[in-house]
Amino acid sequence: MSADSRRLRQLIYVGNGVAALAVSACLLTVLGAGLGRFPALGRALVPGRGAWTSAAGARLPDSQTLTVAGLAEPVQVSFTVQGLASITAQTDDDAYTALGYVQAEFRLAQMDLERRVAEGRLAQLIGRSGVPSDEFELRLGLLRTAQQEWAAMPTGSPAAQALLAYAAGVNDYLARARATGQWPVAFSLAHVYPPDWTPVDSLAVQGELTQELGFSTTPLDYLALEQSLGARRTLLWFAPEAADAEPADSITALPAGSASAAAAILAEARAESGALGIAPAAEIASATASTAWAVNGAKVAGGGALLAGDPDLPQTMPSAWYQVALTAPGLAVSGLTVPGLPAILIGHNASIAWSFAPQAGEDTLYYDEQTRQHGRDYLWRGEWRRPRVLRYAIPVRGGPTRQFSMWLAPQGPVLTTAGQTMSVYWTGALGSPDIAAMLGVAKASSFSEFASALAGWQSPDLSFVYADDHGNIGSVTAGQDPRLSLGQGQAWLPLPGTGADDVSGLVPAATGSAVYDPASDVVVAGGAGAVGNAVPGYLSGHSAMSPASFAALEDDAADPIAAVVLPKLLAALRGARLTSEQRMAAGALASWDGQMTASSSGASIWWLFWSSYLTTVFQPWWSAARVPVSLDPYGLSVGASQPSLDADLAAWTVGDQQNAAFSPPRPSLAAAGRFARSPRPAAAAAVSPAAMDMRAAFGQAVNLLAAWMGDNPAGWQFGKLHTAQSPSLTGATALGWGPAPAGGDDSTVNAAVGWLNSQLGPSARVIAGWPTAGQAIAEVSYPGGQSENPASPWYDDQTAGWWAGDYLPMSWAGGAGAPIAWELQP
Amino acid sequence: MTAEFRRLGKRGAYRLGQLRAQGVRQSRPPRPLRPRFARHRWYRWSTSTWLLALLAGVVVIAATTVVGWWFMPFVVGVGAGFANRIGGWPWRVAVPAVAVMAAVGWAAPLWIGVLRGLPFGGVARVIAALTGLPGGAAAGVVLTVLIAVVQAMTGYWLGRALTPRLAGDLFR
Repeated sequence: MSADSRRLRQLIYVGNGVAALAVSACLLTVLGAGLGRFPALGRALVPGRGAWTSAAGARLPDSQTLTVAGLAEPVQVSFTVQGLASITAQTDDDAYTALGYVQAEFRLAQMDLERRVAEGRLAQLIGRSGVPSDEFELRLGLLRTAQQEWAAMPTGSPAAQALLAYAAGVNDYLARARATGQWPVAFSLAHVYPPDWTPVDSLAVQGELTQELGFSTTPLDYLALEQSLGARRTLLWFAPEAADAEPADSITALPAGSASAAAAILAEARAESGALGIAPAAEIASATASTAWAVNGAKVAGGGALLAGDPDLPQTMPSAWYQVALTAPGLAVSGLTVPGLPAILIGHNASIAWSFAPQAGEDTLYYDEQTRQHGRDYLWRGEWRRPRVLRYAIPVRGGPTRQFSMWLAPQGPVLTTAGQTMSVYWTGALGSPDIAAMLGVAKASSFSEFASALAGWQSPDLSFVYADDHGNIGSVTAGQDPRLSLGQGQAWLPLPGTGADDVSGLVPAATGSAVYDPASDVVVAGGAGAVGNAVPGYLSGHSAMSPASFAALEDDAADPIAAVVLPKLLAALRGARLTSEQRMAAGALASWDGQMTASSSGASIWWLFWSSYLTTVFQPWWSAARVPVSLDPYGLSVGASQPSLDADLAAWTVGDQQNAAFSPPRPSLAAAGRFARSPRPAAAAAVSPAAMDMRAAFGQAVNLLAAWMGDNPAGWQFGKLHTAQSPSLTGATALGWGPAPAGGDDSTVNAAVGWLNSQLGPSARVIAGWPTAGQAIAEVSYPGGQSENPASPWYDDQTAGWWAGDYLPMSWAGGAGAPIAWELQP
Repeated sequence: MTAEFRRLGKRGAYRLGQLRAQGVRQSRPPRPLRPRFARHRWYRWSTSTWLLALLAGVVVIAATTVVGWWFMPFVVGVGAGFANRIGGWPWRVAVPAVAVMAAVGWAAPLWIGVLRGLPFGGVARVIAALTGLPGGAAAGVVLTVLIAVVQAMTGYWLGRALTPRLAGDLFR
């Protein structure tokens, strides 16, 4: 072998070795530590310690004895075949410790995700994509609020004791998970594991729920509408509650000038509504599909009291709710908890049952700060001041820690949302003794104790509905709204941040908020009805109701707008020149029962007609006024998810078909737009503008349906257009449920909020009460199951029953005869 | 070594290295019967030795998953690369053998778990979903096994690349 050849072989040998070393180092680094967002798959997928260990948590639990160090005395936990848990303890503290342990066993990833979102630590788990959420939440201040609440909470108070006991239970489970390495898959893949649970974490989760139910951008949407459509049209079409004329001791005091003009416009709108016999326009995006109601007396077969509730939250897998029963001396309660919170929010005890629905309120105020020096100074009470600056470090998985700073103005943190940068006053940032209130409700045995327990509740604004074992019903509006000393601003719009319009205190969210045994035998909150005596259509006309009829009502898909508008549409179509398809579609509508069921073709025609009708009438105004929809599409766009416009258009169609809204501001624009009107027939003068628009919208709906699903209206099932989905909290499509054909819409009791694919609607349904003396009933249903582990049979075992309208009996104290029993030993 | 008989004792009579040039022609000994996969210039270990070594590798890889030693397929792969130089397997046999060893090393604990009633199929589906892989549970299993195989292959390469000449010379 020549020297050259030998040298070449040596080079190849060395090069091969170096390359092998380099590749090995890279591979081991990536598999062991990950690369950016790429997870450390070596660690994550090693059988025995990685993600595969979650299989142990996916098996149905065995009856066993477990050691939970945080307990003082032994605790019994039993599970039904669906995993509904019953905890029997000898003290309240042990009950909440066991609750923490059990929730962590079945919902640890969800709990950790919730606190991460609330505390601005999401990016640490999911990487860079979580940074915007973290920045927003840190600005909004859920963590600051939780820390302040915990610092101010008396150590010996029942709420503090429950929070500490609950945290101890969660941490006992975490200690076990650390010892066994059995973590939910999400942690193993990210190689980020949850730190110990603290009472602050529970309070942060409470803050997140408050944000979900109470934080809004409504004033910013009003500003965008007022600047584009004009104040008068905005007030008439969207009727902001804050601009309403109210007594002097009410929530907000209005300024003398512009606000009185606003009040006059609203009074005009209300007078018009009253004359037409219709409901006035709703506040922008204020409607919630959540409902809770109770009936008694002649309304109940048996003469007792029955209650139903279906709080609307995003429908996710796993569910936002975890069902459990707690029993200890002096405590016997069953119902729905939110994982992370030691409290039952909806449920019953031996004497009372309760549910809630969000109550529209003025929880969020925005302040437009006057600044100078590129925003470094702001004007407040006549002086230029430096804002307080807070700095945060956001750990990011797979990337460098992100540093950011934020300002605190006197009114609150400076936020950028819906295209506006303003300071925000939000009652949720003040904290609220919600856990103490719910602990009190769990032990209440009468309406006075129930109302007393809720007296300290500050946020979010909720209407609690009540029923008891003596056949009484009632409701309490809990929450407080800011009292304003208005200077130059209007409460329904962002206010000047100069100090003249600052909040001077808090007042109860609604005057005369408690209702008890009304003559109508009905109390209702949320949805289409107001709190108190007003009886919405779906509840009127019923008598001798039973749990079965309650279940049917909660599953009701009757569209109330269709009930009043459909006759007008059919009247408008009479005499119109229709194609054969349109005639068949009109026939299908005429024989339609008004139910938005997945198998109904009439529902498809109605649904598309109503969407087209809204667009035909309002879009020309939006286009002409250049409404900045992109700033907040949900709050500003024309569509069926805008309850204000729904109410307006229904009212005009029923009683005012000559309303000026049917005449677009620039006819040429309407003619050139997507939704061009049908040519007016010769006898146009005899046809109202509303009828013309209805004909055009109907024609467009039929054309769309024919294009999508063929010429035969019999095949236009609603479920082919409309689906519902319960996405996984992880974001992985395969771990969610759906999309699947579904009925319902924004207006039905069984709500499906959204357009083509709904992901928001009832998050649970509860029926509880005492139809007859001594006969208690408590049933629950929610999509998903008790476990968050997708490999567990308890992950989605209740989904089919949910969509079929079935209920399960709530677990109850003791869980006698339950197939699975744990003995928790200290 | 051969010699020129007429010049024995004289310079140049002995010609080193000239095989088969003189004297009686020697016939080649019959080739020993060896399995084709074991034929190698430096072949030293029997097939059963190799199979035992592979089995040991499987056991080591599988056993250490219990304590979370995810890198053991790589380590065993390095050992296989080193041993290959000593024991003398052709790479076209050694590479698939080492791959199978790693795959079985990580698949065996999963299979044992399934036999014990653990819902690994569901977990595999979750892994596939969270890592964005199509194909459901099979994708989760394949991904896991693939990680073990890639590690072992890289280790084998490293072991072969760093140790061959020295080890080969030592044992030659």
